[in-house]
Amino acid sequence: MSEAHYSPPPAGGVREGGFFMSDIAISADKLTKRFGKFTAVDEVSFEIPYGAIFGFLGANGAGKSTTIRMLCGILAPTSGNGKVGGFDVQTQPEQIKTVIGYVSQRFSLYSDLNVAENLVFYGQIYGLEGAGLHERIKEVLALTGLDRFQERLAGDLSGGMKQKLAIANAILHKPKIIFLDEPTAGLDPLSRRAIWELLYQLAESGTSLFVTTHYMEEAERCNTIAFISDGKLLKIGQPASLRQQLHDQILEVTCQPLMKASRLFLKLEGVRGVTVYGTTLNLNVSDLKAVEARVRAAAGKEGIIITSIKPIPASLEDVFSDLDSKKKED
Amino acid sequence: MRSIWAIARKEFIQVSRDRRTLLLIIIMPMMQLMIYGYGINTDVKHLPTYVYDQDRSYLSRRLVNAFTQSDYFIVKSQAISLPQVYSALDRGLAQSALVIPPDFSANLIKKKMAQVQLLIDGTDSTPANVALNSSQAIINAFMQNEKLIPVQVLPIDFRPRLWYNPDLKSTYFMLPGLIGLVLQFLIPMMTATAIVREKERGNIEQLLVTPIKPYQLILGKIIPYIVIGMFIATSIITTMHFLFVVPIHGNIMTLFALTLVFLIVCLGIGLWASTVADNQQQASQIVMFFAMPSILLSGFIFPTGAMPVWVRDISYFIPMTYFLKIVRGIILKGLGFFDLIDQVWPLLLMAILVIVFSIRRFAKRMG
Repeated sequence: MSEAHYSPPPAGGVREGGFFMSDIAISADKLTKRFGKFTAVDEVSFEIPYGAIFGFLGANGAGKSTTIRMLCGILAPTSGNGKVGGFDVQTQPEQIKTVIGYVSQRFSLYSDLNVAENLVFYGQIYGLEGAGLHERIKEVLALTGLDRFQERLAGDLSGGMKQKLAIANAILHKPKIIFLDEPTAGLDPLSRRAIWELLYQLAESGTSLFVTTHYMEEAERCNTIAFISDGKLLKIGQPASLRQQLHDQILEVTCQPLMKASRLFLKLEGVRGVTVYGTTLNLNVSDLKAVEARVRAAAGKEGIIITSIKPIPASLEDVFSDLDSKKKED
Repeated sequence: MRSIWAIARKEFIQVSRDRRTLLLIIIMPMMQLMIYGYGINTDVKHLPTYVYDQDRSYLSRRLVNAFTQSDYFIVKSQAISLPQVYSALDRGLAQSALVIPPDFSANLIKKKMAQVQLLIDGTDSTPANVALNSSQAIINAFMQNEKLIPVQVLPIDFRPRLWYNPDLKSTYFMLPGLIGLVLQFLIPMMTATAIVREKERGNIEQLLVTPIKPYQLILGKIIPYIVIGMFIATSIITTMHFLFVVPIHGNIMTLFALTLVFLIVCLGIGLWASTVADNQQQASQIVMFFAMPSILLSGFIFPTGAMPVWVRDISYFIPMTYFLKIVRGIILKGLGFFDLIDQVWPLLLMAILVIVFSIRRFAKRMG
């Protein structure tokens, strides 16, 4: 796969004949949701321009879905503000629903209707009809490559095709903003790649995409990513600059036995976190040289054989575990 | 409006693909009709009877004939001893036994009091009552026919006549009620599961982010089941009339209009159940919970008049109680809308209350 093809399109550059009031598709300003005493989303703020792919990362229960639900107009925020497509989440939830598309985490179209019937149904719900509806259905089927499966029951589609149908369905009414809640969860790598290709096409046409995901390499594909944990937005920025912040802080150690070493190294001074990979450990450290010396010394004492030890550039996963360990220190 | 039709259309496609539901819609009403039309016949006829005729005279044979000709009794066997008679009753081979003593005709000829004994198995009260009453009538007729008593002029000329169902056919009573029974059973179940299914399969999650409004969703979901309900009612009425020859004395349009009102109550119950239940199984359990007392206490089988007062008070809160009076009134008695006004307004009130309450509850849960 060619990197160029999959690099995210520049965000915020597409404007369609002054259609938009502003270049900001989605904005959140201290958006907060409390359920009783529990604060699910705590003063979250961000702005997403049209044409951008915004990656929303966080563990299960971190507040991702609650944030999406507020922005989609199906859950009223406790406090704070949000604007989606120029409409206010507090006062205009019904208008928001007409300008957004939504792909849910779990396949939620009708498995006992076929592909075409599902699209006709949702098209009608969005007010499309007659020739216009059928024209549009043809377009989205062609775009998603589902044309051959029109007659197939949605329940009989493979996981990847189900997600394509869900996306085809979400873009029927040509929304300029699409929310995708873990659109690639549980899919094989090929299907995931196909889905992302589709997302890039949409972004290129000026659509803004709000994507949640667990996959770090997918986060890499977004223009902007944000980490949320316990309802709080921990970090927001472009993937490259986030990785840059951890520059010279990751030490890759290839050694044996791995698990014993990971427990040992975690106790060393200057080691903030240890991530175990197949045959290596990634140490998140404060000072490369000093820690390397301590690691070698400790390994010698405990009989751990080190084959190689070298600094490497940070991955998003390192950023993520770094944020996580810092949070635990608080 | 377009959204409502979109949902109704989708719902029809789903029902047409669901073989189990299709079977229920077509088979269940027919099965009930067959069971109540052929199987459950509460008319007591041809009661198996043992005869122990110790007299064996012309008169005793005439008496046995009178019993068999009545159609209420059928001679299963001529017994030759009392123990044989007792054991036949014990073992259920006979439900009654006619015992004629040896001196039966001799006593009659001598104008002395003769004795005849009819033993009846009283385990099941219904046939026992019929046997008791009809045997009395048979004996009276026998005495008059055989000129055993002088013809008297009675001070009261008492002539009871049966109206509406002169032959006392139980099918006339049961089959119209089946419209209520089947609707009460099927419609809430189908409505509830159709709505809960959307919740269970996550469809509702997608619908929530569309501009569709709760009332559009509800109406769209309900319309197909109104059509299905009316189809079921029509199929029962047609079969009942043409196969079981139950006459329809009243106005068929009034019948359909009031069936629709009852149908709305059923839909409301289903809708309400769907807001309480989390899955299809729970929904059908809740619906069954309400269907059972409706069937037992509404007068479908047991007349409400025969119930203790507190049970009868409960039956006033059961929609089926009113609907049964309405269908039986229209079909058997030929009553019109205004004759039935005492049944129509409670039913109408229930329909409005149930549907408004459940729509509001549904909309609240959705929001």
